[in-house]
Amino acid sequence: MKFKEIEFKDQSAKRIYLDYVSRVQHATKVLNKENQQEVLLEINSHIYESLSDYPENGKGEVERLLDSLDKLGQPEVFLKPLVAEKKLDEATKTFNPVKIVKALALNIGNGISYAVFAVLYLLLFGFLFLIIAKIADPQNVGLFYRPNQVFILGYYSKNGISYTAYEQLGNWFIPLMLALAVFFYLLITLLLRLKRTLK
Amino acid sequence: MEENFTTKWISQLKKGTLSFLVLSILKDEKEYYGYDLINEIKKKTSIDIAEGTLYPLMNRLKKEDLVASQWVEQESGIPRKYYKITPLGLATVTEMKNYWDNLNATINLI
Repeated sequence: MKFKEIEFKDQSAKRIYLDYVSRVQHATKVLNKENQQEVLLEINSHIYESLSDYPENGKGEVERLLDSLDKLGQPEVFLKPLVAEKKLDEATKTFNPVKIVKALALNIGNGISYAVFAVLYLLLFGFLFLIIAKIADPQNVGLFYRPNQVFILGYYSKNGISYTAYEQLGNWFIPLMLALAVFFYLLITLLLRLKRTLK
Repeated sequence: MEENFTTKWISQLKKGTLSFLVLSILKDEKEYYGYDLINEIKKKTSIDIAEGTLYPLMNRLKKEDLVASQWVEQESGIPRKYYKITPLGLATVTEMKNYWDNLNATINLI
C-alpha cells in the first residue's frame, strides 16, 4: 500500500498539510519502515475523510484543513502511546539490544514493570562495563571475597587500600562477566516477550 | 477545587470507557474505518474525544485480538483501514456490558 499525498488547490493548505505529514513521520521515526508507513497511511486517510466530510459552509481549504487537524490533535502527543506500544512489539520480536533499550525508554512511564526491566538492563551494561574496567585496571577490579569481611563485585580502591589479595576469579572474571551479561540479556528479552504474551 | 476533581474524574471515566464504547459500536459486526468510527461515537454519545486518541486504542484492541483490520483501496487512491470485531471481541464486550449494567444497578441502589 503506497502513500498518496492529498491534493490541495491552495498552496498554503498544501504547506500546512505537508508540515503535518512530516510531524507524523518525525513522531514515528523510531519505528521500522513498515510500521511508519502503516501509521502515516492511517492518519492520511483520516485527514482525507475528514476533509471530504466537511460541511459546505463557505470556508476555504486552509480553514477546513486547520479545523480537521485541530480535531485530530498534535501527532507528537496522540501518537506517543501508539509508537511506544509498536516499538515494544518490534523490540521483543528480535534480540536487538538497541531496539530493546529504545522501547524500554519509550515505555518507562507505562508501568513499574518496565522500570524494573530498565534497571535489569542497567545491570547488564554494568557487567559489560566491568569487562572494560578489568582490562584497564586489573588489580582493583574483580570479585573480592573474604568471609564476614569483604564481598565486592566490581571496582575497589580507597585511600590506598585495595583487596587484590582477596580477588577470587583472576582471568576468569572477564568470561564470567560476559556470560552473566549474555544470561541477563536472554532472560530480560524472554521475560519481556512473556509479559507481552500474557498481556 | 471540587470542579477540578470532577473534571479529572470525568476525563478518567471517558478514557476508561472508550474501549467499551468502540467495541459496543463494532459489535453489530459492521466494518468501520477510523474516521467513520469517530463519527459514530460522536453521533451515539455526547463524548467529545480528541480524534487522534482513537488510533492508539485501535492498535491495542488489535493487539489483544479483539478487533481485526484490513486495508481497502479506494478510488481516491487514499486507502481506508477497516476494523471489525473478532469473536473474542464479541465475548469481551458482552462481559463488559454485563459488568457495566451491574455497576449501574449498584450505583442506582445507593
